[in-house]
Amino acid sequence: MTAPATVVIPAGILFPEALLHSQWFAVLATFVAINTVMYAALALAKILPKVHPSDWIRTRNERSETRSIHPDAGS
Amino acid sequence: MCQMRRGRFNRAVGIFIALTASGAAALLWFAVAAGGPALSESPSQGLFFGFWSILYNTDAPAPRVLLAAIAMALLLAAGVAAVDRRIANRSRRSADPLTGPLAPRVVMAATRGEFAGPVRVTVLIPAHNEEASLPLTIDSLLAQSRRPDRVIVVADNCSDATVALARAAGVEVIESVDNKQKKAGALNQVLRRLLPDFGDNDVVMVMDADTRLDDGFLAAAVDRFTNDRALMAVGGLFYGEEGHGLIGQFQRNEYLRYSREIGRRRGRVFVLTGTASMFRARGLRTVAASRGSSIPGTPGDVYDTAALTEDNELTIALKSLGGLMISPEQCTVVTELMPSWGTLWAQRLRWQRGALENIGAYGITPQTLRYWAQQLGIGYGVIALGSYLFLIFLMVFSLDTWIWFPFWLGLGALFMVERVATVWKGGWRARLLAVTLFPELFFDMFLNVVYLKGVADISLGRTASWKHVTHVRPLEPTGAKRP
Repeated sequence: MTAPATVVIPAGILFPEALLHSQWFAVLATFVAINTVMYAALALAKILPKVHPSDWIRTRNERSETRSIHPDAGS
Repeated sequence: MCQMRRGRFNRAVGIFIALTASGAAALLWFAVAAGGPALSESPSQGLFFGFWSILYNTDAPAPRVLLAAIAMALLLAAGVAAVDRRIANRSRRSADPLTGPLAPRVVMAATRGEFAGPVRVTVLIPAHNEEASLPLTIDSLLAQSRRPDRVIVVADNCSDATVALARAAGVEVIESVDNKQKKAGALNQVLRRLLPDFGDNDVVMVMDADTRLDDGFLAAAVDRFTNDRALMAVGGLFYGEEGHGLIGQFQRNEYLRYSREIGRRRGRVFVLTGTASMFRARGLRTVAASRGSSIPGTPGDVYDTAALTEDNELTIALKSLGGLMISPEQCTVVTELMPSWGTLWAQRLRWQRGALENIGAYGITPQTLRYWAQQLGIGYGVIALGSYLFLIFLMVFSLDTWIWFPFWLGLGALFMVERVATVWKGGWRARLLAVTLFPELFFDMFLNVVYLKGVADISLGRTASWKHVTHVRPLEPTGAKRP
């Protein structure tokens, strides 16, 4: 969802560059970084085909009787 | 007294969600601060293609931090999915008619060995001054390869040609009587008349008058209802109509991703959409009989007239009673999009407010857990996206040279691929919008602001309104729906 910082534009300077070297900015940057990586992991999971581990094991999901509205239909 | 209690409970929903989401963010923030993050190094200089001199910064979080973040995200997602699955399976296997009167085993035991006739489809189209779109809706129904057995337009306080057009199209019309509870109230009146005569294989389809069914919808749904007598509902998958320029494309992309997600869930339903969904009569009767006791609402009502999003509420009601439901991929509908930011704002605020009120009314139950997690997820997303945009803003206005961050560029490329891949089916316009990344980020931000407004409104106890704004009909008067 969030995209990372890529480019910094040489716009008019509103804040001193020292701001970027302050401790709280480092905390903010790391906070954003961790979030971005988390969302990136989720994004990757969304691109990859979804796995359904339940398909790999044969379970008791086979129906023991028909669920059709016709009582004599095969299950 | 009861209403007051409910009102207070509703306000707590907003506060609970806000506190939990920001609590999670605060936890991460303090963990980072306690770890003492490394201060950024100065960028290095390099040559690109041998002649462009560029500044770049190879800063990337420590591998340990990266791994922890990835693991955390995947565990959370997998955890929610696993809990969701487990709860669904448990209710599917329940055999207790008291806690799960619609659970498959209970329904099967009640209908075993009897043939109640073939599946019969009765379509209800609630319409309030829908003369512009109703004829197309009826056409899409009558053109289905498996035609509905009955089509009834539920005319609610119409002052235009809706009734005449419906009769001209050859379908039945029932007009609501003294109804002041909008769509839900009108549907309740008609269902109260119809349901007692309906058998086990009678299916009711409720569809909006501004929606058109794709061919094959009814055939696929009737097939499902025939093959599984425990199936209580089939939900439609909606995609957006053409037109409305950029704002239309934003919504189309959003709906495409939602449909893709449901497909990947193999049709497991989040919401039985109000645009077009079908219900077995037994399901609706049981909901009406359970209201006021095991689920909220007025006894005897199928739809909860106090809910702003009555389709979402009915979904939770059916799930809470153990009912089985599915959204098959063949059951698609085209629905109307909001043509402007103002109407989109009103629509989404209603959805958001409605979703919060619905889970507030049901509380934290196994069946609502998924919806709570979703609200918390959006809440955390608001903080994450907000802090990200704030960081960019600070950097843009604190540096006077371009600096490239290869690590972050790589992640950016990953997001681009994800955005494009998830709307691939939507054609080149959808892909083009997705690949540019930032417009959709700002659309997300718009939805986030709506989310915040919804949470704030509910927490402060502001009155919600049911503003149904469309391009074909005049503004309905807004009215308080819930104290």
